[in-house]
Amino acid sequence: MSQPPVPTTAVPGGDDRAPEDAAPVVPDAPVVKQTEWPHPLTPFIRGWLVLVAVVVGFGPRLVNPDEREGLASLGLVWILVGVLVICLLAAAAGFVSWRFTRFVIDDEELRIETGVLFKTSRKVAFERIQSVDIIQPFAARLFGLGELRIEAGAGDSGLRLRYLSRTKAARLRDYLLARAHGSTARLADSDDALAPDVLFDAGVADRTLVTVTPQALVGSFLTSTEFLVPLLVTVGFAVVAAATGIGVVALGGIVPMVLGVFSLVSRRVIAMFHFTLAESSRGLRVTRGLTNLTSQSVPVDRIQGVRLCQPVLWKPFGWWRVDVDIVGYGSRDSENNGGEATSVLLPVATPAQVRVAMSRVLPGFAVEQIATHGVPRRARWFRWFDWWTLRYGWDERAIVTEHGWLVHERHVVPHAKTQSVRIEQGPLQRRLRLADVHVDTPKGPVHSVARQLDEATARELALTQLDRARAARAAARVTADPAAEVRPESEDERRSADAVLAELGTGRDRLLGEGGESQVFALDDDRVLRLYRGVHGEDQPLSPVVDQLRGLYGFWERTRAPGDRALQLPLVLDAGTSHGRTWTVDRRFGGESLAAWLPTADLAGRRAALSSMLDAAEAMARLPLPVAGFARLVGEGAPQTYPSLVELLQAMLAGPTTRSHAHLTRDVPDVAGVWDRMVRDLARRTVTPTLVHGDFCAPNVYVSPPSPGSPDEAPRVTGVGDFSPHTLQADSLMDLTGAVAFLELETYEGAVADSEWLLGQAVQRYGPEVARWIGVYRRYFGFYFSDTAEVEPRTYAWCLRQLDGA
Amino acid sequence: MDDLFAPPAYAWQRLSPRYVSLRRLTTLIFAPVLLSIPALVAGLALDLWWLAAIFWGLAAVIVVVRWVLIGRTYRAWGYVERDDDLYITSGVLFRSLVAVPYGRMQLVEVASGPLERSFRLATVTLKTASAETDASIPGLDPEEAARLRDRLTELGEAQASGL
Repeated sequence: MSQPPVPTTAVPGGDDRAPEDAAPVVPDAPVVKQTEWPHPLTPFIRGWLVLVAVVVGFGPRLVNPDEREGLASLGLVWILVGVLVICLLAAAAGFVSWRFTRFVIDDEELRIETGVLFKTSRKVAFERIQSVDIIQPFAARLFGLGELRIEAGAGDSGLRLRYLSRTKAARLRDYLLARAHGSTARLADSDDALAPDVLFDAGVADRTLVTVTPQALVGSFLTSTEFLVPLLVTVGFAVVAAATGIGVVALGGIVPMVLGVFSLVSRRVIAMFHFTLAESSRGLRVTRGLTNLTSQSVPVDRIQGVRLCQPVLWKPFGWWRVDVDIVGYGSRDSENNGGEATSVLLPVATPAQVRVAMSRVLPGFAVEQIATHGVPRRARWFRWFDWWTLRYGWDERAIVTEHGWLVHERHVVPHAKTQSVRIEQGPLQRRLRLADVHVDTPKGPVHSVARQLDEATARELALTQLDRARAARAAARVTADPAAEVRPESEDERRSADAVLAELGTGRDRLLGEGGESQVFALDDDRVLRLYRGVHGEDQPLSPVVDQLRGLYGFWERTRAPGDRALQLPLVLDAGTSHGRTWTVDRRFGGESLAAWLPTADLAGRRAALSSMLDAAEAMARLPLPVAGFARLVGEGAPQTYPSLVELLQAMLAGPTTRSHAHLTRDVPDVAGVWDRMVRDLARRTVTPTLVHGDFCAPNVYVSPPSPGSPDEAPRVTGVGDFSPHTLQADSLMDLTGAVAFLELETYEGAVADSEWLLGQAVQRYGPEVARWIGVYRRYFGFYFSDTAEVEPRTYAWCLRQLDGA
Repeated sequence: MDDLFAPPAYAWQRLSPRYVSLRRLTTLIFAPVLLSIPALVAGLALDLWWLAAIFWGLAAVIVVVRWVLIGRTYRAWGYVERDDDLYITSGVLFRSLVAVPYGRMQLVEVASGPLERSFRLATVTLKTASAETDASIPGLDPEEAARLRDRLTELGEAQASGL
C-alpha cells in the first residue's frame, strides 16, 4: 500500500544535451577578465521599439470614430505626453538592462551576465552551441546593429545579446560557429568583416546556393492553397451577405479571415523576402526578411528529416517548398515574424534548386531515385479524397512517404534518424485489412507516415525499417569515429599550422577545402597551399607520395605536347617541411568541381560537359609515360613495372580483396566465378600501356561553365586533379569506365540516365566492342573499391552492383 | 492476437492481473463522476431532469461497454524485450504496436499514482527525442517495473547513439 514513488532514471548518453552546461555560476566569483557591454545605442532602439508598439496598438483607435470620442476627450497633448512617458520609461528600463548586461566571448569561454538585483551568469560550452543567428529588427538595422542569438540545446530559451554592431555580431558568429564545429580557431583569426550591404547579409566567404526572387515568392504565395482557401471562404461569405443583405453575417466571417491573411502575408512574404540560402566553410546559412533581417545558421548534422510540399496550383510551375526538422527547434514550429529560427529551408524553389539544397542537407542520399509504391485499391473506401496519392518507398539510406492532393507532401527521413516505429490500426481499417506505419522523428514539420498499407506489407515495412535503422545507426557510429579522430586539431598542430600559414603568407580564413589527409588554403589567384595533417620531426624527409606526385606532375609539365595543354593538370610548384609540417604549393585550378556543378546544370549543359569528359580521358591517354610498360606510378615501392596488364591489375586488387574477402563471399553469389571470368577476360586484352588516372570521377574533375559574356559556349571539362596511388600505366578504357560508371555514384536526379547516355556516347565514338570491356572494368573497380563496406556503404553497394549479374 | 501485431519469434509479456481490478474500479468511478457534474448542473440549476437522466444514461452505457471490454483490453496489452528494441502493443478498437530501439531511449520513467499504489501497480514510460513515440506500459508489478527500468537504462546506455 505504501510504496514510495519509484524515482525516474535518465539514460546517460541518450540525451546529449545535459543541462549543467547552462547552469548559473556563482556571480561573486572573482572576475579577472575584461567584460564587454553591448552597443551603447541599445537603450534607444528598445525605446523606439516600444514607440512602434504603442503606435500600432493605439493608432487604429485614433482613426476609429467610436473610440476617438473617448480618447479625444483626454486631449491630444495628454496622449502625446503619455506616449512620451512610456517611451522614456522603456528607454530607462532599456538603459538599466543594457548597463547590467555584460559578456565575455574569447578564446576560453562564452559567458553572459545579466540582472540588476538577481544577477545571473550563464556560461555555455562551445561544443554545445547548435546555431548562432543574427536578427536585425527594422530599427536596429537603421543603426547598423543586430541581435546575436545563440542556441545551445533543446528546452533552452537561448542566449540573446542585443544589440551589437553588425560587423561585431558577424565576427562573433563566425567565431562561435567555428568553435562549435570543434575547430580551435581564435577570435583574432576571424577578422573578416561582413559585406557592407544593407539588404544581403551574406558573409564575404559565403557561396550563394539559392536566391528566391520577389516575383517567385509573391507568385507562389498568391497560388498557394493556404492563401486561396481563406480567400475563397471570404468571397463566399461576401456573396452570401450580398445575396441575403445581412452584412453582419459577412463581417463575422470576413474579419477573422482578413486577419488570418495578414498574418500569413507577414509570415510567408515579408519574413521570407530576399530569401538566400548560402554555403560557407561553417555550413549552411539562411538570410531573409524585408523589414526584420534574419541571418540564421542551419546545423546540417542535426537535421532529422525533410519535408517537400507542393500546393496543387504550383504544379505547372514545378515549385516546391522545403522544410527541415532540426532537433531542438521543434518548440518553435510557428515561423513568426519575430525572426525566430525557423524550419524553412526554401520557401519556394524550382526542382533544380531543390536538388541543390537536398544535396547539401542530405549529402550522399539519392532521394529522387527511391522507387515508391502505391497502396491497395480498397484504401479508397477510407481515403476517398486522396488514396491515389498515397505512396511509400525506401532505399538503404532513407524512407520516403507521400500523400495529399490539394497539397502534395513528401517526407524524407534518414534511417539513422528513426526514433521509433509504430503500426496503428483503427476499427474500420481492421475491416479492410489496412494499417498505417509511423516512423517517428523529433518534433517538427516532418511526419513520416505510410498510410493505408496492406496488413502484411505494413508489418514487413515496420520490421524491416527497424533493421535498416539499426544498420544506419551502426554505420553512423563507424563513420563518426574516424572523423572525430581527425577533426580536433591538437595544440601542436594548430601552432605549427599557424606558423606555416604565416610563413607562406596565407591564413585560416582562406581555407578552400579539407579532407582526411590535407587542408588546402588559397595563396593567390594562381596558387594554393596544401598542408598535410600530422606533425613530424624537423628533419624528416618528404613523404614518398608527395615526392612521387611532384615528380610526375613536373615530368608532364616538361614533356607534354604543346597541343595538349588545354587540359589542366596539377603542378607542385614548391614543397617542403617547416615547423614539423609537410606542405606543398600547388597550381590553382580554374573552373569548379564537376561534382558540385552537375546538380546545378541543365540537361544540355550536363551532357556537353560529360561528353568533354571523354575528350579529357583521351588527352590523359596521350600523356607521356615516365617509365616503360605496365606500371604502378605512386605509392610505396613505386614506380613498379609488371610484364602484363593482367598481372598489374591482379597486384592492384590483392590488397582490397584481402580486406573485403569476408564481405564479398557473403554478399556476392559465386564470387570466385566472377573473379575467374574477370581475370580470364583481362588476360585476353592486348593494349599498349597509357596513363590511367584510376579514380576518374566527377569530384576529381574541374569544369569551366560558359563565361557570362558568351553564354552560347558549351561547358567543358578543363582540368583533372587528385592523382593518387590509384594512378597506373595500363588500359585507357579504365578511365573511360570510370567516367561512365562512377557517375552512378553522383546523387543528383538523372545521374543514372546520364551515365547510360555517356555509355552510348562512348560506344558511338569507339565502337560496340567498348561496351564489353567497360563491363569487364566495372568488375575490376567493383573489386578494387570493395573494402569500403564499413566506411562508405553507398560505394560498397555500388561495388556489389558491378559484381552481381556479371 | 492476430499476425499484424504479433512480435517476431517472441511471446508477449503480460501485465499484472491486478490491472484488471484497477480497470474495474476506474471504470466504475470515472465516467459516472465526470458525467454527474453536467447532470447535476442541468437538474438542480436548470430543473431539466430529463437532460440529467440522459447524462446518467450515457454514463451507464460507458460503464457497461468498458466493463465488458476490460478483459479484452487487458489481453491486448503486451510487451517484449528484444535484443535491440522493446515492443509494446495495446488497444482493442484502435490497436497499435510501437517498437523503440534501446539506442533511442532518452529517459525511462516509472510512475505510480495513488490509485495504482493501492493496487501495488506502476507504469513505465519510455521517452525518445520524438514526442510521438508514446510508449508506456501500465499495470506492472513495482518489482517488474523497477527491473524493467534498470534493464532498459542499462541497454540504453550500451546502445546509445547521438541524434
